[in-house]
Amino acid sequence: MNAQMIETTNPRKALLLIGSPKGKAGTSYAVGGALLRKLAAAGLETEEMTVSPALAEAENMDRFGEAVDAADLIIFSFPLYVDQLPAPLLRALEFIAGRRDASGRASQPTRPSVQKVAAIVQCGFPETHQNQPAVDIMRTFAAEAGFHWAGALAMGMGGAIGKQPLEKAAGMLRNVVKALDLAAASLASGGDISEEASALFGKPLMPKSFYMLVANFGMKSRARKHGVGKRAYDRPYAS
Amino acid sequence: MNILILNGAPANRRGATVRAIVRTITDEAQAKGWTTAAFDLDGLDIKPCPGCFSCWLKHPGICAIKDDEEPILRAYSSTDVIVWTTPVTFGGYGPTLKKALDRSIPNLLPFFIKTGGEIHHPQRYPRRRSFLVFGTLDAPDSDAEQTFHRLVKRNALNLNTVMTASRVFVEGSASTEWSGTVRELLTAAKEAL
Repeated sequence: MNAQMIETTNPRKALLLIGSPKGKAGTSYAVGGALLRKLAAAGLETEEMTVSPALAEAENMDRFGEAVDAADLIIFSFPLYVDQLPAPLLRALEFIAGRRDASGRASQPTRPSVQKVAAIVQCGFPETHQNQPAVDIMRTFAAEAGFHWAGALAMGMGGAIGKQPLEKAAGMLRNVVKALDLAAASLASGGDISEEASALFGKPLMPKSFYMLVANFGMKSRARKHGVGKRAYDRPYAS
Repeated sequence: MNILILNGAPANRRGATVRAIVRTITDEAQAKGWTTAAFDLDGLDIKPCPGCFSCWLKHPGICAIKDDEEPILRAYSSTDVIVWTTPVTFGGYGPTLKKALDRSIPNLLPFFIKTGGEIHHPQRYPRRRSFLVFGTLDAPDSDAEQTFHRLVKRNALNLNTVMTASRVFVEGSASTEWSGTVRELLTAAKEAL
């Protein structure tokens, strides 16, 4: 993770882009929204957008591009999909990069500070390192599109967070809250996400074997609730 | 041998070499008598995965969305070799390929198992499969290439493949630069089964 400090003024505006198809109903918003509220408490102007609807219509895309242009700090919060970013978020990254190539940077020659990109990624697998390709892709995007990479918070066991507000969370989520506090303080003062914050955020919420037990039990219970039971193993396309 | 090709070439200039690689694969397969199911994803109607998990919890193995992903899921169940092709995009796959991959979740089981010290979902259709991924870049970029190869390795763990290889070629390069490698890897993929 990049913990480098660069010469910037403190950011004035932070934009949260939610990359989950569940929008504000998912873990990506529970975590990203908590970070955004901490930045607001530190005095930043904040805005949040969900990526999928933002890309659905041309008019929305213009608004989306303008919001990116206006932000000093852009935070992408998303779930891991097949080892990397969900497809609509990839499309958004291409849109942002293409727009900046065409006119983005030239249209704002007097922008006083470097625009920064940070990422929050979480997956249902227990191992934090399964998120690494997604973090690397976000870092590469930042470099190719001319943003400063402010680092990432990545965690496994994301399913254990759910939709709950994190402000008053304790117990197994204490490290997540502490990491968000550290990240918010650093980002609000012009710094990046520190290695300490990344390490805390990525700490397992519980022992891996226990998570696996709970997750499998929960999945079987939900399948039974839908009347699926053993049909969970069906092979509808087997020849 | 059945080969499933998911061609993530966009219709624009960035897809030219990717399309040429796919032609080489289908020509080689025809010459060897292998069966191919090739999907040019750019022209297909594949909507984003909403993460509803209906394919695990309500109608196992079948996606709730009815669109062009369904024949891909069906072809995957009986394939021996999986081939993905894409322009390398920020070190990963382009959105054209990724939209189909995001919808492949029905082909996994919802439960967790331990594989190679990590937790993954088991395959709904267990089978020995080889896995080849070909990417293109406008210019050599070692950082993006390393990210790409690491991503393929992670996908291979989740797909539980018996043989995996990925290569990145320069967009616009002559076919002599890559066609031999593509053919060799197809043969290696078959021999690994």
